[in-house]
Amino acid sequence: MTTILGIETSCDETAAAVVDDGRDVRSSIVSSQVDLHARYGGVVPEIAGRAHEALITPVVAEALVEAGAADSDIDVVAATCGPGLVGSLLVGVAAAKALALVWDVPYIGINHHEAHLYAALLDEHDAEVQFPLVTLLVSGGHTMLISFEGHGRYRLLGATRDDAAGEAFDKVARYLGLGYPGGPVIDRLASEGDPTAVPLTRAMLDDGYDFSFSGIKTAVINWVRAHPEVTAADVAASFQACVTDVLTHKARKAAHELSAAGICLAGGVAANSALRERTLDICMEDGINAYLPSRAMCTDNAAMIAATAWYRLASDGPSDLDGGADPNLRIDFLN
Amino acid sequence: MLVLGIETATPQVGVAIGGHEGIIASFHTTRDRRHAETLAPAIRFLCEQAQMKLSQIGLVAVDVGPGLFTGLRVGLATAKSIAHACRVPMIGVSSLDLTAFPARFSDRLIVSTVDARRGEIFYATYRRAPGGIQLMSPPAVDQPTDVAAQLMATGAETLIVGDGAERYAEVLGDVRGAEIGREGLRHPNAGALVELAHARALREEFVSPSEIAPMYLRAPDARINWQQRERS
Repeated sequence: MTTILGIETSCDETAAAVVDDGRDVRSSIVSSQVDLHARYGGVVPEIAGRAHEALITPVVAEALVEAGAADSDIDVVAATCGPGLVGSLLVGVAAAKALALVWDVPYIGINHHEAHLYAALLDEHDAEVQFPLVTLLVSGGHTMLISFEGHGRYRLLGATRDDAAGEAFDKVARYLGLGYPGGPVIDRLASEGDPTAVPLTRAMLDDGYDFSFSGIKTAVINWVRAHPEVTAADVAASFQACVTDVLTHKARKAAHELSAAGICLAGGVAANSALRERTLDICMEDGINAYLPSRAMCTDNAAMIAATAWYRLASDGPSDLDGGADPNLRIDFLN
Repeated sequence: MLVLGIETATPQVGVAIGGHEGIIASFHTTRDRRHAETLAPAIRFLCEQAQMKLSQIGLVAVDVGPGLFTGLRVGLATAKSIAHACRVPMIGVSSLDLTAFPARFSDRLIVSTVDARRGEIFYATYRRAPGGIQLMSPPAVDQPTDVAAQLMATGAETLIVGDGAERYAEVLGDVRGAEIGREGLRHPNAGALVELAHARALREEFVSPSEIAPMYLRAPDARINWQQRERS
């Protein structure tokens, strides 16, 4: 058995987790800074960096205690090395390398986006995962449709041409005066609204695999301006239904064309109730597997970092101790 | 007691190990802003060459700034993680103390500086004291012209050290009775960190990692989105 301590500090969550063999999550501690950034309407890099520095040691300590792991139980230390805010990433990378040095174990730097792809595979004990999977990576910074062909093997099918899906949620929430972050509050409000109240065109972009969300956002704003009597719940429900339709339509189409074994959700928007329900329905109808990360594993966490490290270690081996962070790190796609 | 010293407040990365017998090993490199890449391998190299293990360390000393924010965070995250994993206490020392300490044999007023970027310097003043230096004015951040004006007003013979003094040598060197300390007095010294921390450790002035915090001396750059704040 390989026990990995994972550390994640790419944006505004300071997180540490202990995971056995890439699957068994023994602990996953996430200390969110959302309250620190809320009044600025977005993440302030310097505030995030300061908070990571203050929180990293206690968060790592808590992850070890909750896992019941002695220092000597840890076989590998992994940290997110990109993409993200460089001043935040470096705190986690520095802490991970220091611990690896003291414990005399390998250090491995992990791509945050790749780790999101693995979040849905945590706690999958029953059988070997069947590939290929069609993965929707949807977050505040990215919207990608990916063919997950095997461990470490990814092909990019399509991506957003403008706003990320999560960004559209944030912008619509901001316009409606619902605060930041927008995803959870729109999700909550949408459950009380009518998803057909606001007529919104599904932007399918000639039926390729690319997405566009800025038009949907603008259409929502224009509708609300012209119809000030519309309730926030109806707007939220209509907007969410539209985004969900576009995302799942493309994922389903890709799953058909690639004869995929399943559809997998990843990233913060994967916590959205409508997207999860629709994905489950589609997979059920089409008789394929649905891999939905638990809600806690959709948003940034360190368990997915530790899990990914287990697969990366097997294929690529450990990273050098002189590795830094790359704020623009990309997934190494096959295409 | 063996002390590991970690210093990353300026473009320099400095590490040193020492104890009762003085500095056993030290390493400094000045590759601009490569703290995160350099620090861990530097510590490993130092331990290998000093033929010792990190588990033998009894105290971790760290430069808490003021200085480069990201550099400081890399140094503090590394130092705290090592101290925590080794279950040893810590001592934090100011970068200005560390830059002033090697100038302690001068009877002049010592002005220690660190380049704060954006046209400002971090600085503090010191006087020679038995066995070391004594802080005369606390760490502050100001424009070099304002610091020069203050020094001019004191009329004292001054030795100005640190990379802030070097960058603004034209302004600060113009002060009557002032001299700019250059090579050897440019960056905080990791050896000085170990020496100062060792002396303090003997007086049991150490703390736990959670009590160590960076000295930023500047509020974070952040603008409140008032429009959004009013709506919510």
